[in-house]
Amino acid sequence: MSDILKDWKIHLLVLAIVIIAEFIGIRKVAIGPGTALFLPMLYALVIGILLGPRFLKIVTDEEMERASPLIGISVMLLSAKYGTTIGPAIPTIVKAGAALIFQELGNLGTIFLGLPVAVALGLKREAVGATFSIAREGSLAIVADVFGLDGPEGRGVMGVYICGTLFGAIYFGLMAGFFASLGWFSAKALGMACGVGSASMMAASSGALVAALPNFKDDILAFAAASNLLTGATGLYASLFLGLPLTEWLYRTISGDRSRPGQAKAEPRVGEGKGGKGGGKQ
Amino acid sequence: MTKSYGEVFWILVVAGAITLVGNLVGFKINPADALVGMLLIIAIVMVGFTLQQLLRRIGVQLPSIAYISLVGILITYPAFPGSDWFFATIGKVQFLALTTPVLAYAGIAIGRDLDAFARLGWKIIVVALLVFTGTFIGSAIIAELLLRMTGQV
Repeated sequence: MSDILKDWKIHLLVLAIVIIAEFIGIRKVAIGPGTALFLPMLYALVIGILLGPRFLKIVTDEEMERASPLIGISVMLLSAKYGTTIGPAIPTIVKAGAALIFQELGNLGTIFLGLPVAVALGLKREAVGATFSIAREGSLAIVADVFGLDGPEGRGVMGVYICGTLFGAIYFGLMAGFFASLGWFSAKALGMACGVGSASMMAASSGALVAALPNFKDDILAFAAASNLLTGATGLYASLFLGLPLTEWLYRTISGDRSRPGQAKAEPRVGEGKGGKGGGKQ
Repeated sequence: MTKSYGEVFWILVVAGAITLVGNLVGFKINPADALVGMLLIIAIVMVGFTLQQLLRRIGVQLPSIAYISLVGILITYPAFPGSDWFFATIGKVQFLALTTPVLAYAGIAIGRDLDAFARLGWKIIVVALLVFTGTFIGSAIIAELLLRMTGQV
C-alpha cells in the first residue's frame, strides 16, 4: 500500500478532476449532419494537463512520472468492462453472414490511407498509434497497455481519439452522404461501412445514408447496427492482433525508423514499483 | 517487470472508488448500487492479470488487455451460468464513467510531453480524417465485392 500513500495527491487530484468533469457532463453541439460531442474524459485530460508544471504548477515533475503507471492500471478496469459488452454479442456474430464478417477487415483501411500520409507529414511513432485503428476507447486501452498512453503512440491515438469525439460524427455524416451520391456502392455495403465501432459515428453516417437513399432505409439501418455491433466486439482483437502488427510493419517499411516501440522508457515504468528493480527510479 | 499484486490491487480499488464517484456525479447511479459491479470488474481484472502472469512464465507474452477482456467476454457469454446477472450488475458501472479517470491520470502524466503533443496540431487532424475515411471505404469495398460475388446485390 505504500505507493498508494505516496501517490495520495495524484489520486485526490484525479478524484477532483473526475467530479468536475462529470459535473460538466456530456455536451452535444449539432453541426450539419452530425453532432460534436464533448465528453467528460476530454475535460479530464485538459484539466490534468493544466495542473502540470507548465501551467498551474499543482503537479510536480516527479508526480507526472508517478502518474504514468497509474494510467496502465486504471485502464485495466476499462478493458474488463469492454469485455463484458462483447460477450452478449457473440451469438449474433456467429450467425452473421460472410460479407458482414469479412467487411470488418475493411477497418484496416485506416492503416493504408492514414499511415503513409502520417509518415509523409513527419509523424514518427505517433503515426502507429494514430492509424492502427479508428482510435475509439478500445484502442486507447490497447495503446495504454502495449506502449503506455504517455509515449508517442499514446499521443497519436489520443490525438485521433479527440478528433473523433469532436468532429468524427459530423465527418462521417458528410462522408456517407458523399459516397451515397457517387453511386459506386450498394446501400447494403454502405450500411455495413457505417458500423465503425462508435455509436455516434454510426448514427450520423447511417442517418446521412437514409436521407440520401430513403428507399433502402431498413437495409441501411439493420446492416449498420449489425456491423457496428460486430466492430465493437471483433475490433478489439482485430486491432490488437492484426491492425497493430500490420501498422508496425508498414511503418518500419515506409519510414525506415527502427526505434523501439513505446520508447524503451514507457515499458519498464508500468512495472516499476515495490517489487521492481530495487524500487529505483530511472 | 510488474508492480506487485497487492500494489496493483490497491490502485484498482482506488481507481474503482474514484470511478464510482464519477458514476454518481455523471450518471446519477448510487455507488451502493454500482459497488458489486465494480467489485466484479476488479475481480475480472485480477483474474485476467493472474492469467497473464502465469502464461508469461511458460513464454506466452500477450498484453493484459487480451486476457482481461477475454474473462469479461466469457462471463457475459449467454451460455455462461449467471451471464445475465453479470451483465446487468456490471452494467451499473457506466463505460464512460470508467474512461474519465483514465484520461485524468493521462492528463497529469502527459504534461511532460506537452510540446510533442501540441506539435501534432493540424497534422493529426489530417491523419484523423484519413483514418475515418479509410475504415469507411475499406469496409464498403470488401462488403460490395462479397455481396456481388454471392449475388446479393
